[in-house]
Amino acid sequence: MESSSILDSLGVEIIGVMAPVSICMFLVVLLTYSLSVTSDSQIRTAANLIYIENPSDSATVKLEGSLANAIVFVVLVAAVTFVLVLLFYYNFTNFLKHYMRFSAFFVLGTMGGAIFLSIIQHFSIPVDSITCFILLFNFTILGTLSVFSGGIPIVLRQCYMVVMGIVVAAWFTKLPEWTTWFILVALALYDLVAVLAPGGPLKLLVELASSRDEELPAMVYEARPTVSGHQGRNRGSSLRVLVGGGGVSDSGSVELQAVGNHVANQQGRGNSHNLDYNAVAVRDIDSVDGDGNGNGDGVSRSPHERHFASAVSSEHSTEVRVRGNNEIRETETDEEMSPLVELMGWGDNNREEARGLEESDNNVDSLNRGIKLGLGDFIFYSVLVGRAAMYDLMTVYACYLAIISGLGCTLILLSVYNRALPALPISIMLGVVFYFLTRLLMEPFVVGMTTNLMMF
Amino acid sequence: MTVAAGIGYALVALGPSLSLFVSVISRKPFLILTVLSSTLLWLVSLIILSGLWRPFLPLKANVWWPYALLVLSSVCFQEGLRFLFWKVYKRLEDVLDSFADRISRPRLFLTDKLQIALAGGLGHGVAHAVFFCLSLLTPAFGPATFYVDRCSKVPFFLVSAIIALAFVTIHTFSMVIAFEGYAKGNKVDQGIVPVIHLAAGMLTLVNFASEGCVIGVPLLYLVASVTLLHCGKMVWQRLKESRNQSDPSR
Repeated sequence: MESSSILDSLGVEIIGVMAPVSICMFLVVLLTYSLSVTSDSQIRTAANLIYIENPSDSATVKLEGSLANAIVFVVLVAAVTFVLVLLFYYNFTNFLKHYMRFSAFFVLGTMGGAIFLSIIQHFSIPVDSITCFILLFNFTILGTLSVFSGGIPIVLRQCYMVVMGIVVAAWFTKLPEWTTWFILVALALYDLVAVLAPGGPLKLLVELASSRDEELPAMVYEARPTVSGHQGRNRGSSLRVLVGGGGVSDSGSVELQAVGNHVANQQGRGNSHNLDYNAVAVRDIDSVDGDGNGNGDGVSRSPHERHFASAVSSEHSTEVRVRGNNEIRETETDEEMSPLVELMGWGDNNREEARGLEESDNNVDSLNRGIKLGLGDFIFYSVLVGRAAMYDLMTVYACYLAIISGLGCTLILLSVYNRALPALPISIMLGVVFYFLTRLLMEPFVVGMTTNLMMF
Repeated sequence: MTVAAGIGYALVALGPSLSLFVSVISRKPFLILTVLSSTLLWLVSLIILSGLWRPFLPLKANVWWPYALLVLSSVCFQEGLRFLFWKVYKRLEDVLDSFADRISRPRLFLTDKLQIALAGGLGHGVAHAVFFCLSLLTPAFGPATFYVDRCSKVPFFLVSAIIALAFVTIHTFSMVIAFEGYAKGNKVDQGIVPVIHLAAGMLTLVNFASEGCVIGVPLLYLVASVTLLHCGKMVWQRLKESRNQSDPSR
């Protein structure tokens, strides 16, 4: 352990976010490539309410129309976000969660269904309608369940987040070209304002959530370490120390943030419907912890090192001994973990006990959180790449690299500033700039070179 | 068949780097980040170069010296960029070392440094293959193929994939050579890298002659194997030295 180089452990968190984004973009590109022939029809969404682009329109008409589209779309998004903040402010959390489940169901069922149908048609897969319906229904239900419930393995939730990103992004790539670009840029700007400006809706939402210690009622990808949880956590924090110069850091997030320290009381509300999942959660965490201990990583670390780890990062876990039942669970322990200690103190009292224990599991769970990325970021990154895919592969690569490096920059900034940051602006701006540079400058250059078999 | 052909071309160009990526790079997230940033750097250099040359395009198809000038300028620019990359890496290495001291872990091993150099080179090589070969492969997935007049025996995609493979090898391993040369102040290693790069670039000019690819491609592979051999020899020596010192070298 001591002799392993620091290179093994650096940047796990960043890759943990970049990998799903890359997968999402890759699949969207594949989808647009394979399906672009069949589905050329215009779609009608909130994104082109005002103006429907016609290839024969003049540039000014297109410009004005798509600008209007973008403005309307952003205003709609802003309005919806404000409604969300209001609902959250007045504690309609359950309503929000159910609404999110409903929309997940809707997205997976209809949009996903449409995409599956076109895949089936395009590759002429022999499947009868009943089977297809049952498969789709099961798929959708599982996705709906995975959105906000604790009992689902995190891997599954991550997969479904990626799937939803793909589905929505594939849908958005059907928008006309100019509108797409304007909407992307407008959204990037909106994101900047909404997260950073005082009074921005997303900023309000994040602050509200962290002041109440609640989970954000929103679609968020959590790059929580899945298998070797403890290792991953320590690795992740190490990068932050490296970049951020050793500041104390909470579990950070991009754009949408939920800070890890849940206080028990706050979760009491609405927990009744979670109870049946919690049983599953316990087992699930058990197995994860088993892996972690099996690796012997956290256990064998020397005390002073552990102390250091807890000093630099307030992500931590505790040794939780579940009395009441016969099972004894152990997770790795760090020093600085007051909320959980308190919680265990209360746990002995009264009928709170059962719930308290389960919540402690939730807490252990939630403390492990890493970086979070809003689903919207997934979608709009993929929309950009998908749009680039309609031109050429070269632009796809350029845009992919630009977006990923923008994401990397955002993550580095995140570790410096330690607050919720918008993930769209840097990436989208870089992506758009690289797209047009590639298309206008690089393409003739490269094609001219390679068709003469010149390279360097 | 056509999809298979397209994938085949892509694998000819990128298969070795793919296996290198899976076996060495993908285990360590930091190396993946290195690959990505190095790829981005190469892309930026390509965009800048194409911006510089854009007013002169398209070049006349029957005169060879503008192409020679183009290759020369590109190689010079990219070698300058490599030096910049080294400077950045040097600072990063210091940061990493001080970080390692702070969490009382050992500093970077020799193998770590070599792996970072390899990742940086792989980034350059992959970027080359992606932009010069892969990005033109889209038609190869279709039902037809394409021949250029000057190399009429082999499909264009196959030739470009083969050439790209040679360049991937050259880029990948010359970065290792260059980093070691810079680190040890070895003038020969520092000098040989631009020479190799320039030679490889100039050798593609042979393709300009009719059926020149029959000669040009084998010569290119000669350069690639020289790079590979030199790199292997150098790394072997370094590893032996550091083992003789019997502690992980600094």
